[in-house]
Amino acid sequence: MEELLGGLSPLLASMVRNATPLVFAALGGMFSERSGVVNIGLEGLMLISAFAGVAGAFYSGSAWVGLLFALGAGLGFALIHALMSITFEADQIISGTAINLLALGGTGFLMELVFGRSGTSPRVQGFEPVAIPILSEIPVVGRAFFDQSLLVYLMYAMVPLTYLLVFRTPFGLRLRGTGEAPEAVDTAGVSVARMRYYGVALSGLLAALGGVYLSMGILSAFTEGMTNGRGFIALAALIFGRWNPVGAAGAAFLFGLAQAFIFQAPQDVIPLEFLQMIPYVLTIVVLAGFGGRAVAPAAIGKPYRKE
Amino acid sequence: MAEREPTGGRAGTAGEAPVVLEMRGITKTFGAVRANDGISISLRRGEVLGILGENGAGKSTLMKILYGLYSPDAGEIFLDGERAEIKDPKDAVERGIGMVHQHFTLIPPLTVAENIVLGAEPRRGLAVDLQRAVRETGELCERYGLRVDPRARVADLSVGEQQRVEILKALYREARILVLDEPTAVLTPQETEDLFSTLKELVASGLSIILITHKLGELLGVSDRITIIRDGRVVDTVPAARTDERELARLMVGREVLLRVEKEEAEPGGVRLQAEGLVVRSSRGTVAVRGVSLEVRGGEILGIAGVDGNGQTELAEALAGTRPAEGGAVRLDGEDVTRLGAKARKRRGLAYVPEDRMAKGLVPDFALYENHALKTYDEPPYASRWGWLRPAAMRRRAAEALRAFDVRPPDPDLPARSLSGGNQQKAILARELSGDPGVIIAYQPTRGVDVGAIEFIHGQLLRQRGEGKAILLISLELEEVRSLSDRILVLCDGRIVGEVGPEATDEELGLLMAGRAG
Amino acid sequence: MSAGRGGLSSALQAALGRAAGALVFPLVAIALALAVGAVIVLATGNNPLAAYRALAVGAVGSPAAIGRTLLNATPLIFTGLAVAVAFRAGLFNIGGEGQLYIGAITAAILGVSLGFLGPLAIPVVLLACLLTGFLWGAIPGLLKARFGAHEVITTIMLNFVAINLATYLALKPFRTEGLVPGTDFIDAAARIPTIGLGLGRANYGLFVALVAAAAVYLLLWRTTLGFRLRAVGLSPGAANYAGMSIGTSTVLALAIGGAMAGLGGGVEVMGVYGKMSIPFVSNLGFNGIGVALLGRNHPAGVVLGALLFGGLASGAQELQFETDVPLDLADVLLAIILLLVTATRLVELIFGKRVREMASGTRLDEGLAS
Repeated sequence: MEELLGGLSPLLASMVRNATPLVFAALGGMFSERSGVVNIGLEGLMLISAFAGVAGAFYSGSAWVGLLFALGAGLGFALIHALMSITFEADQIISGTAINLLALGGTGFLMELVFGRSGTSPRVQGFEPVAIPILSEIPVVGRAFFDQSLLVYLMYAMVPLTYLLVFRTPFGLRLRGTGEAPEAVDTAGVSVARMRYYGVALSGLLAALGGVYLSMGILSAFTEGMTNGRGFIALAALIFGRWNPVGAAGAAFLFGLAQAFIFQAPQDVIPLEFLQMIPYVLTIVVLAGFGGRAVAPAAIGKPYRKE
Repeated sequence: MAEREPTGGRAGTAGEAPVVLEMRGITKTFGAVRANDGISISLRRGEVLGILGENGAGKSTLMKILYGLYSPDAGEIFLDGERAEIKDPKDAVERGIGMVHQHFTLIPPLTVAENIVLGAEPRRGLAVDLQRAVRETGELCERYGLRVDPRARVADLSVGEQQRVEILKALYREARILVLDEPTAVLTPQETEDLFSTLKELVASGLSIILITHKLGELLGVSDRITIIRDGRVVDTVPAARTDERELARLMVGREVLLRVEKEEAEPGGVRLQAEGLVVRSSRGTVAVRGVSLEVRGGEILGIAGVDGNGQTELAEALAGTRPAEGGAVRLDGEDVTRLGAKARKRRGLAYVPEDRMAKGLVPDFALYENHALKTYDEPPYASRWGWLRPAAMRRRAAEALRAFDVRPPDPDLPARSLSGGNQQKAILARELSGDPGVIIAYQPTRGVDVGAIEFIHGQLLRQRGEGKAILLISLELEEVRSLSDRILVLCDGRIVGEVGPEATDEELGLLMAGRAG
Repeated sequence: MSAGRGGLSSALQAALGRAAGALVFPLVAIALALAVGAVIVLATGNNPLAAYRALAVGAVGSPAAIGRTLLNATPLIFTGLAVAVAFRAGLFNIGGEGQLYIGAITAAILGVSLGFLGPLAIPVVLLACLLTGFLWGAIPGLLKARFGAHEVITTIMLNFVAINLATYLALKPFRTEGLVPGTDFIDAAARIPTIGLGLGRANYGLFVALVAAAAVYLLLWRTTLGFRLRAVGLSPGAANYAGMSIGTSTVLALAIGGAMAGLGGGVEVMGVYGKMSIPFVSNLGFNGIGVALLGRNHPAGVVLGALLFGGLASGAQELQFETDVPLDLADVLLAIILLLVTATRLVELIFGKRVREMASGTRLDEGLAS
């Protein structure tokens, strides 16, 4: 029993660490999609922000400056997607893919330029774990949930915050309307384009938080391609969670748990590569089971042109 | 046509009340079509003005101008005696004009209260004061006698209730003039009665109402005056108390006959197309066709008349095989084809000209020769046994057919998109009729098509009739149905409500189409 | 209009006209991207003219450079075709990377054991790659047709699954005893010979790619299946009206796309590397998307686009040599081209509506949860 509980705490801790970037990205994706704009560029947004954070910390020596850089990068790239998709009515999926490619190439490019090397950046000042007094003393779960990076605590706060924002404020009401029935919102005198820009911008900021945690909350360094599909898994978590902040966060934790298992599972029985497949296969199963059809914001993916 | 001044109309006061809205000489042209031609209407305080007209008469264009969605090419609008230029819907709302659209602009997953306040939300700090929204909605319901649960999700409401939410939206924004566009098109008779008592309450509270519809019977029950619009012009404005359904039907539908087609006597042969108790659902899940039975003989044209949205599309598609039937049967030359798809029916000699040439009848970016082979591309001579296409053969056949059917230009390589509407329609006809079909279903064959093409298409249909083919013509153009058909069935609310001959009067047809037995 | 002319010349005319119109847009996108690239180069403290000159030299400046360009272009033709075929049916195939890996591991394994087939080895192994790629591509097709799972996410997920699967096979059951992690070298009989002529490692796999492009052209415009795929992609409403099965088309389009990418993976192993070492190639799948879009989803365009991308990648190596502009500039340029190519409204704003109509490709307006 002791042993079991002993193994549980690191597992849970790992789950939290894995889930955090997914939660951020999923919440970001929610804002974009609820406004009616598909955002499969979450992957790229996370990646560029992960890099920007490290670069910023490298130059300034401060993790917080790095965070600012990351938010700026995420916002900037997201606005490119917004400009292409909303104003220029580009196909949203292609635009998102282009963002991913731009981030991939861009980070490689900048790695050389800024750090003079490829692969992994030098270590920088990151967001080290900070234990919350009292809460972190709770047996088993205390260390797992409350002895984590500050960004993790931010993530905890984000879930109820985004929930309130989307379901209790005028902004949230209009956002939801824009994604479901833009004509209705338009005739009520609210600008559909403006709401969509907000939605995409928020997705950039939240995805940036996810990216920053990835590079500076765990490793304190940037590795090329480190997002490794997390942006897409976050999207699946969003769909699984029915485009609801709490549901998406829950799904993200589920994926995080699966990822945590990968490292705990005996590798001589199941090869590493098959373990690594699990999150991706899980995503496929989730999508096949839930189709994602009936529940998505009704007006998603289509550019809106006023009559 | 002069406007007769209402004297001693309903409710007594309507005659002396001030004019709250006047639209003078409104003209609006879209390309070659003059939707509104010098239309003038006036609305008094506390009055219900009915605007009556067929599909395409120009009613909705007029209302879109009032609501700020279009600006008129000529004419002026006066609100409370002052000239007003309505820039956009927001402006219209601020001026007290509220519009209840035919197709609701509601957000289904949100609640009634949320839908009503969106854009003008009551706040409590940073949050929406939902309680106040609910309370204020409740107060509005009380005041105007509308019954709706503010906390209910719009998606869960009945159509009648959803309409009440639309009305509440306008009332919440303090509308003084309420415009309802075809409000009863989607309501049951009971819901219609509820709506009308609501309107009476609203009027008693000082609102002025414009009711746009083609359902003349209802207008008589609730309006003070009725303005009839036909072909973009005002025909007349009459007080409701001084007219009746027959006169309204005549005013709405009667017109100089544009196309009187010469046709010989019908010599109908055996039954070639049959429907028995057909039940079909629409894409939204509602039952659109409720047990329709019909027979079409060789050598005759059976016309189906009716107002748009009464099940025509679902009926046509179920007969053609592009939509499954939930119940009943379809027979082609005696064979039960209910379970067969469109291709199989085509092979048994069924041709189908759909109502939407750009979205269904043609692939707009395909060349004409590819469109010509849309249903036959995998049969000889267009394809070999191994699936190899023969574009040369396709082009040849297409070129012949295009010329024979007067498609201009008869170039098989042109993308279908580049042709005019009439030529596209002729190209579809060329395809469907080339295979020597035994049964032809034509749904809105001349929609949006120029007069020359209309004549040609009508001529083609009559020729097929002369050759002994069975033709089912479904059209929203009454003139077309009348001039071509040997018999006419009227479709209303998914049922056949009557059969008449082409010599039937406008009143008879108008009444049947509006759901009133003749 | 052209009623007097014979059928062939008016068809040719129309085709040429369409090709000209189709080229306008990509050229504009490339030009704009090069302009942005120049700004980026400037920002790194380098001379844009020198940079672009280095790019050009590296791409086509010598037989060796041309050989590198052809070498880079070959797999991009395959992955570009993989995307283009699916797009023609209205679907997004982002799974080119994984499908390529599946083909590659197929070739790496079979190439070792099927050497005894002699001259038949190459065609047989290629056929096997075609088949495994086809099956891998069919998976997202079935998921979409049966469950409505959107192919964007499923194909991306399957990329990771495929890469992991291939990696496992290369590192465990089929691992070589040599130093470099991966499979054994394949039998000489299964290796695709190089072209020589000073073109470096450029091999006859290029011809396989060209044949594949030609085959895709024939498939789409000369077969009944291709007719159906295009109809479904351009107008599902009309396709339904004509009685075509949209589900079947979905599965086949993605499966054929997978087959193309699988073939590409096989050619990479058999023509270039001779084995599958880990780590293997990367980004070929994603760059295939750019190639396909730039080439307007037409096989001829895909070939041209692949040559452009291949040239850029080859030139980037020279660029890194002569200046200190990082290699990844090529990837950045490609991403910008991709962004611009899809912003058709931008073209409309600059050039007017008619050009936009000419430029717009297949129906690309569905969202993620359609």
